[in-house]
Amino acid sequence: MSSLQLTNYLRTNRNRLALWQEEVAFLLGFKGEDKGAKVCRDEKFTREPSLRSALAYESIYGRPVRELFAGMYQQIEKEVAERAKLLTYRKVGNQNPKRHQALTNLASKPLHNPSQT
Amino acid sequence: MNQTTSKDFRILAVALSFGGFGFVVMEGQKTIIEFGRRVADGDKNAQSIAKMKKLLSFYWPDVLVLQDVEAKGSRRALRIKTLNRQIKGMAEKHKIKVKLISGKQLRNSLLGDPKGTKQEMAEMTAVQFPDELASRLPPKRKPWKSEDPRMDIFDAMALAVVFWMKGAKQTVQHAGGP
Repeated sequence: MSSLQLTNYLRTNRNRLALWQEEVAFLLGFKGEDKGAKVCRDEKFTREPSLRSALAYESIYGRPVRELFAGMYQQIEKEVAERAKLLTYRKVGNQNPKRHQALTNLASKPLHNPSQT
Repeated sequence: MNQTTSKDFRILAVALSFGGFGFVVMEGQKTIIEFGRRVADGDKNAQSIAKMKKLLSFYWPDVLVLQDVEAKGSRRALRIKTLNRQIKGMAEKHKIKVKLISGKQLRNSLLGDPKGTKQEMAEMTAVQFPDELASRLPPKRKPWKSEDPRMDIFDAMALAVVFWMKGAKQTVQHAGGP
């Protein structure tokens, strides 16, 4: 079993503010009778919210997106690190130390796990 | 031996009752992720197992905290004892560490009195988590009334609180990493 973070913490934060799904849906600008169901699907990890919705969640709950979607952030960060590692092996003519430093930092990032700080 | 810090440690505390079960999911000592109650009627054990399965697969806890219904002096119903064993078996099958806490341990740790009441324990946990739980604290039960279903949540919360007080350090070291 994992000590990995949950894909998102939307439900926890909604409960913290004692808001209903319908109310959050209204704040997000969802329309229609079943707008609350969209929030429900977001919370149950069955629907991936758009960037606009993710930023709206940040604004509603007052927590950064990377904290609200901690598990997803952790996974994406890991994937980026793997790709950065590949890029560090790439030979380029003009070796820019800044570029090398940036890639090395990216490749080692999940080891530090800043999302949990 | 791998050591997981208690900060990123997720637990699911479950209190079984006559009409289903109450549960609390916590990450670390102070963060409640989710709490609630699941109702079971008809074939109560089968329904409870199905609902537990859903919870386990949704939250993937590191530790499942249950009441030790087989402890000396425990007078829980045979159905609850069977269900407890089934849930324990299910958790172990999924390689989830199980921690059992007896009623006596609960009362001793929370109240310092083995004869303390559930109401007192509920009030104590409500004081510790006022934002989440205070509004849900049921009124003191009258002798002629049956127990409020919301007490399940407080029973689960008490298990979680005692887990963090007593067993967390030991369990974290034994559970190891993912």
